Amino acid sequence: MEHELIMGETMVEVKKTENDVQLQFESPKTDFDSILEGEHIVIETIDLNFYYSPESHALKNINIKIPEKKVTAFIGPSGCGKSTLLRTFNRMNDLIPGAYLTGKVIIEGQDIYRDNIRLEELRKKVGMVFQKSNPFPMSIWENVAFGPKVNGITDKTLLDEIVESALKQADLWKEVKDRLHQSALDLSGGQQQRLCIARTLANKPDIILMDEPASALDPISTGKIEETIEELKQNYTIVIVTHNMQQAARISDYTAFMMLGELIEFDKTKVIFTNPKVKLTEDYITGRFG
Amino acid sequence: MRQPRGLEEKTSAFRQKTYRRDRRARWVITIAGYGIIASIVLIFVYLVLESLPLSFGASVKRMFGWGLPNTERVFLTGVDSYQEVVYFLTADGKIRFFRLQDQREIRQDSIPLQPDESILAASKGSLNREWFAVGTDAGRVFTARIRFVPHYSDTGRVILPEFELDDTFSIAADTVHPHVERLVFRQNEDDARFWLWENHDGQLVLRHYDPDFEETYTVPIPAEWGEQKVTALTMSYSGDQIAVGVSGGDVYWFRYSDGEVVLQDRFSASHQPISALAYLIGDNALVVGDTDGQVTVWFPVRSHSQIFKMQPIHRFRAHPAAVEQIYPSPRNRNFLTIDTRGNAHLNYSTTSRTQLEFQPARDRIQAAAIAPKANGIVVIDAQHRIGHFWLDNPHPEITLKTLFGKVWYEGYPKPAFVWQSTGGSDAFEPKFSLVPLIFGTFKGTLYAMFFSVPLALLAAIYVSQFAPHWLSRIVKPTVEIMAALPSVVIGFLGGLYFAPLFEKHLTAILIFLIALPLVFMIFILGWRQVPEHHRLRIPIGWELWFTVPVTFLAIALSLTLAPHVEQWFFGGDLKQWIYTALGMTYDTRNSIVVGFALGFAVIPIIFTVAEDALSNVPESLTSASLALGASRWQTVRRVVLPAAAGGIFAAVMLGFGRAVGETMIVLMATGNTPIIDLSPFNGFRTMSACIAVEIPEAPVGGTLYRVLFLTALLLFSFTFIINTLSSVVGERLRKKYARF
Repeated sequence: MEHELIMGETMVEVKKTENDVQLQFESPKTDFDSILEGEHIVIETIDLNFYYSPESHALKNINIKIPEKKVTAFIGPSGCGKSTLLRTFNRMNDLIPGAYLTGKVIIEGQDIYRDNIRLEELRKKVGMVFQKSNPFPMSIWENVAFGPKVNGITDKTLLDEIVESALKQADLWKEVKDRLHQSALDLSGGQQQRLCIARTLANKPDIILMDEPASALDPISTGKIEETIEELKQNYTIVIVTHNMQQAARISDYTAFMMLGELIEFDKTKVIFTNPKVKLTEDYITGRFG
Repeated sequence: MRQPRGLEEKTSAFRQKTYRRDRRARWVITIAGYGIIASIVLIFVYLVLESLPLSFGASVKRMFGWGLPNTERVFLTGVDSYQEVVYFLTADGKIRFFRLQDQREIRQDSIPLQPDESILAASKGSLNREWFAVGTDAGRVFTARIRFVPHYSDTGRVILPEFELDDTFSIAADTVHPHVERLVFRQNEDDARFWLWENHDGQLVLRHYDPDFEETYTVPIPAEWGEQKVTALTMSYSGDQIAVGVSGGDVYWFRYSDGEVVLQDRFSASHQPISALAYLIGDNALVVGDTDGQVTVWFPVRSHSQIFKMQPIHRFRAHPAAVEQIYPSPRNRNFLTIDTRGNAHLNYSTTSRTQLEFQPARDRIQAAAIAPKANGIVVIDAQHRIGHFWLDNPHPEITLKTLFGKVWYEGYPKPAFVWQSTGGSDAFEPKFSLVPLIFGTFKGTLYAMFFSVPLALLAAIYVSQFAPHWLSRIVKPTVEIMAALPSVVIGFLGGLYFAPLFEKHLTAILIFLIALPLVFMIFILGWRQVPEHHRLRIPIGWELWFTVPVTFLAIALSLTLAPHVEQWFFGGDLKQWIYTALGMTYDTRNSIVVGFALGFAVIPIIFTVAEDALSNVPESLTSASLALGASRWQTVRRVVLPAAAGGIFAAVMLGFGRAVGETMIVLMATGNTPIIDLSPFNGFRTMSACIAVEIPEAPVGGTLYRVLFLTALLLFSFTFIINTLSSVVGERLRKKYARF
């Protein structure tokens, strides 16, 4: 069977046989149709395999569906591939030298790994918030306006409006409105992370990927971020990777449990945390390993 | 109980050993660190110490003073080059030699005068030999020579003077008083002799004598001379020019050649009578002194009509009384002026500087002499008191102005920046303007930077941001290996292989500079016509392969077009066209060639440092930018470049510093001509190349030697400042982006 292999941002057609993929865990087939009944599916992966190198098989045959305007959390022990999966949705993994993938990721009906996609447009549509806040060494205003600017908006008043609304959505406007033109690096860690959320929102994305957005923050800042996420899910599809199971339980609507590169279980958050179908999931969320 | 204690002891012994080692390592590292700083400071101090004597002025030290009893008027004095023996010529024709050490008279000779005949005038024949002539009131002229012959014995060196009367002639004795006044005697390098004097009729008579030629002329007096009296008279040391000063303040300048004395120019040097005239070594500059005490130096300058006119070039501190005597130095452009009150000034012509002002005697001075090595002065005053001075004046030609300013040298049409350290003759004046060298240094550096900065920075951006991983893994070490190429090899290739090649394909190369961007633009325009879904198939970083055929296409195009373009636009010969249309000469080893060769040496430094700086931009920043939908190029331009600005600045400055100090490449790939000219088709001489070329020939402790050390100091300061600037500014920029 022919697959497209992705190396860095390069693609080569390579033949690869199906039986390369071997699963370690017996997990019941997830019935996405019944779990996600009535939801509109935005992201769907089909037989997704990801390799950091031919020896390092990071995602194994992932089939998952992610609903619109809901918060979907990925949980699992370190190294289970949840961040890798998240990063396949905006092709950030392309930057890794030597990495490649097989299978499909379909976002809003489009295979984003087809070879003539415009990465800039994909990433504008699928925004991302990183684990460690990474504001640019510029002013607060410049940080938020960066996305619209690189996507072609030059009108100053329009940019001002976008900046203000993005900062308001990220619940940062009150704190920074008087010092928009000071360096973003002078903000506190929690403020910086909310700035990064605002920066993502300024691009008016459909989907926001969050890679452990609160893991480096104190509980108060974490609380604020979580409040922000609560508000955002009315307008955005949010996929969040978290180590913190309480956080997943608090903020997400759906939860996917992953382990060693496999999707073990996907269900409504309530179900996962109260009545998981797989023993492994139960062991993990009750803290028997992690 | 015992075991743990033993263990404890062992551990503590181990700990102590570790501490000892730590301490030792700390000491070694500290000493090494301070050692480096100390060695840099020492180099700096050494350079300063070697070049500092340039700023020392002249000084005189009185050695002896004693009186000479029972003597008539003294006309001439002189001293040997070791300053051991001095002689005096007196009006009764006696020549008395004294040893300076103990003031004993060691020899006496005399000119055979008639009983009532006495000397009226005396003149030395040259600056470096003790030939002289005397004229008497009986109309006779005696020519003689003095030699100082060193004899070596067990007790050391003894200078024994010798006297030899050579020639006697009488001027036409058809009058009662056949006086010989204002006698000027010259014996030139070819041993031709000239006697010039004013006779009893006030006429100026010139007698020229060669072994196979003898003639006497009367200097033609022009009408405007009128009734003015001759007040000063001199002749050049080669015997080809005559200068006459008159009571009205004018100087008449004659040229003697082909048996004819011709008036060249008349210039008004003063409103007062001219009281002294003398040629300086080199026979170009004429020192004029008047009764007001003014001292000026004049030399012929070619005017617009191609005629040489005497121009007042240098003016010196005025004497309080009439200038009476002028003694040029036998070594350089120094000259001693003495006024009627016994004040002496030591002047240096080229710098317009009066270096010393002193009173060698308490009375009017009868005669004086500068020692042959220009390191001593002997004077005798009206009371026959003798003064002997050591003169310490090692670098009279160096002032800030001669090093960094425009100087009007003899034979030049206007003041200029000139570096010309050695010449053919003794009379050559070294010219030490550092400006052409500094200019050359920065010209070479700038051409190298024009070539290397864009190439190295773009390569660094490509390799760090765009190139596929495998390619950057090859390119980076390859470029770094370039840095290991010895610069003498680059210089050799640049000067002997590339320069002729460049000259041969000059037209093609110039066309290539236009053709390459043009062909690329056409290619890109064509590329945009390809449907987007095809274009997006080309992976990022692989565009490189498109550049190869496009570049070759541009090269082929340039080579094909070159002969035609040269034919159509440049009349078949571009170099000729450059000369006629642009007025530039074409040197094979020119600035462009050096720019390439030097740039080649600088590229690895700029590339490596810049690439490191670009790669060190945190990935979180590039990821953030890409995740916001920025393209690769937008990310580079808006995020990576600003964040790496400090490192890039440091890279460029380091390259600049390297280019400023680079020696072998510029030495071999330029013509080393110290000229100030912006033309890209000319060579230049850098400070470093100049040091390398000239230091082997510079006598230790001499002016050239010290000026080269000053150049080294300057070069050291430049590179020091540039490197310091690069780290300070680089650090500041880096700090701005350091808080992640």
